[in-house]
Amino acid sequence: MSKNIQKILIANRSEIAVRVINACQAMGIKSVAVYSDADENAKHKMLADEAVHIGEATPQKSYLDIEKIINAAKETNADAIHPGYGFLAENRLLAERCLEENIIFIGPSSDAINLLGNKVESRIIMADAGIPLIPGMKKSETDIEVYKKAADDCGYPVMVKAAAGGGGKGMRVVHTAEEIKDAVEAAKREAKNAFNDDRVYLEKYIVNPRHIEFQILADTHGNTIHLFERECSIQRRHQKIIEETPSVAMTDELRTRMGADAVRVAQAADYVSAGTVEFLLDESGHYYFLEMNTRIQVEHPITEMVTSVDLVIEQIKIAQGESIEHLKNIRQSGHAIECRIYAEDGENNFMPSIGQILHYSEPSGPGVRVDSGVQKGTDVTIDYDPIMAKLVVHAPSREIAISKMIQALHQFKILGVKTSKKFMVDILLHDKFISGETYTDFIEKYMSDRKDLADEYKELAVALAAVSASSGTASNSSTQTSDKIATPWQLLGAIQIGDSIHE
Amino acid sequence: MNNLDFDFNGETLTAQVAKSQNSFTVSFGDKEVQLEPLGDNLYAVSLNGTKYQAAVVASQGKYFVDIDSMLFEISDPQAETVAGGSGGHGGEKDKIFAPMPGKIVKLMVAGGDVVKEKQAMVIVEAMKMENQVLAMANGKVKAINFGEGDQVDTETPIIELELDE
Repeated sequence: MSKNIQKILIANRSEIAVRVINACQAMGIKSVAVYSDADENAKHKMLADEAVHIGEATPQKSYLDIEKIINAAKETNADAIHPGYGFLAENRLLAERCLEENIIFIGPSSDAINLLGNKVESRIIMADAGIPLIPGMKKSETDIEVYKKAADDCGYPVMVKAAAGGGGKGMRVVHTAEEIKDAVEAAKREAKNAFNDDRVYLEKYIVNPRHIEFQILADTHGNTIHLFERECSIQRRHQKIIEETPSVAMTDELRTRMGADAVRVAQAADYVSAGTVEFLLDESGHYYFLEMNTRIQVEHPITEMVTSVDLVIEQIKIAQGESIEHLKNIRQSGHAIECRIYAEDGENNFMPSIGQILHYSEPSGPGVRVDSGVQKGTDVTIDYDPIMAKLVVHAPSREIAISKMIQALHQFKILGVKTSKKFMVDILLHDKFISGETYTDFIEKYMSDRKDLADEYKELAVALAAVSASSGTASNSSTQTSDKIATPWQLLGAIQIGDSIHE
Repeated sequence: MNNLDFDFNGETLTAQVAKSQNSFTVSFGDKEVQLEPLGDNLYAVSLNGTKYQAAVVASQGKYFVDIDSMLFEISDPQAETVAGGSGGHGGEKDKIFAPMPGKIVKLMVAGGDVVKEKQAMVIVEAMKMENQVLAMANGKVKAINFGEGDQVDTETPIIELELDE
C-alpha cells in the first residue's frame, strides 16, 4: 500500500526541524511546525508553511505532550508526523496514537521502538540472533548489592546505563565498588528526568573502544540495507561532538562483517525506516552491539555527504510505501566530518551557555554544509538541549577534510553565547586525532592539558573591541543583514577553504 | 587618533586606533594590529604577519570577539560594571551559587554539616545535564536557601558556609 504524503507535521524544534522542513520543500510536501512559548521567534517556526503553538517552554508541556502533537496534526490536516530526534522520536506511544488517528508516523513501528528502546529486552533478542554483546547485567534491579555483585563479576571499570536511554543521559562510568551507589542513584535521577523511566543496569566498560555505528534503511518490501559506518568516538560526557566517515579503523573485511550484523539487528527487530546500529569496536577488532537507535541521528549528514543519499527524503518515501531497491549498490566516496556546535563553554568543562545570539554567520563553499536551528536574535535558553548547529565538510581525503573543517570552524561566527569551536579545532590539530587514534576517552586522555593561549591573542582581541568602540557602526548590529553573507572570506581571496574540488 | 584603555584579564591595554580609507591600524606601543572590515561584524585581522578571521559585536557594555575560533568577552571601559553581574562569584568562597540557572535535583548536605573543599554540595540540572557544585573551601553549612526541585538563578546563593579559620 502506498500513499503520497501531502503535509508533514514536525514534532520537534531547532536544527532537525529545519532539516525536515527542507526535505519537505524538496519533495513538494507542505510542512507544519510546532513551537513552545520559548520558540516564538525560532527559525523552524518561521520556515514551515504553518506553525502551531503547543504550550509552555517546559518540554513536558509542549514538545513531549503527545496529545498536543496529535491535535496539532489533526487541526492542520497533516497526514504524517516526523518526530526528528530526541523528544518523542523513540516514544512508542506517539507511533501508536498516529496509527489510531490514521496519521503516518515517519519512523519504525511501535513494536520495533518498544523492543529496541528497551536495552534490556533488545540484548536478549540480539544474543539469540548471534550478535556479539558486552558482558553485564541483563536487567534493572532494585537491590544495590546486585549491582555490586554484577560489577565484581564483569571486573571494573563498569558502566551504569539507563534501560530506556540514549544520548549519554543516565550514563556513568564507575571505577570502584565505593562509587557504585552514588552512580546508580545519579543515573536513575537523570534517566527519570530524561525518559520518565528510572531503570538502570550495568555492564563491563570496554577500555580503548571506538564508537562505530552503521546507518540502516529498511522498507516495507523486505529490503534492509546499511549505508556504511560512522565513527563517533570523540565524545564529552558520553555525548558525541565530532563524527566522521569512513572510520580509520575500518577494513573492507571488517566493514562487510559489521555491516552484515547491523542488517541482522534491524531484521531481528522487523525494522522499517531509517535507524542506526551502534557498536563498540575494541583494539583487537572485536566488536559488541550497543543498541539500535530508532530515529534519524544527529550525525546523519556525514553519511549523506559520502553516499549522496538524502536520508530524510528516503525516510519519507519509505513511509509512503516506496522501495529502497535503487539504493542497493551505493558506495562511499571521499571523507566527511561533522562538528556539533553546542551552546557550551569548551574552555570551562562544557558548561552550558545561555544568551541571545548577537551575531551569526555561516561558512560556505563546495563540500561545506551547515544544518542550523538558530539565527541572529535567537535566544538560547536552559529549556532544551544546547545544540545550535552542525557543521559538516566533505573532501576527497581525511587529511583535506580535517583542514577544511578547521577553516570552516574559524569562519563560523556565533557571538553572544559560548561554543566549543576552539576546543574542536584543537582536537582536529592533535597528532593523535590526525593519526586516527580516536578512542572514546580521547578528550579525557589528550585534551585535559591544553594550553591557555588567551594571552597571545590579547592585542588582537582588544584591537577588535577598540575598532568596534570607535567606529560604532560595527557594534550596533541593528541593520538587517542576511545570514547568508558568509562569503566575504572568499571575496578576500587570501583565504580559501580546503580544496576546490567539484562536489 | 583615538586612545582607549581596556582591561584584559586584569591587565590594562591602551589601544591607539588609526583609521585609513579601508582599514584600521590599532597600536599597542610597538605592536600593530591591522584590521580590514569585511562588513556584517566580520574582519580580516593580522598581527606580526599572521592573518586571522575575526568577528566582533557589542552588546550591553561588552564586546564579544571571535578570532579564529578563540572567543573573548571584553568589557567596555566606558560602561559602568554592574556589581555581581554575569561574572563568576570567585571571591565568595562562603557562598555556593548555581553555575547557571537551573533546577536543584539533589541537596547533598544538611544544615550544620561539616564540609571539605571540593566536596559535592548540590546537583543542579540545566539543559538536561546534571552539574555537581563543589565547596571551594572547608567549613560548616550555615544556611540552605532552596529545596530540591526549586528553580535557581546564579545570583542567589543556594548554600551559605561558615568557613574554617
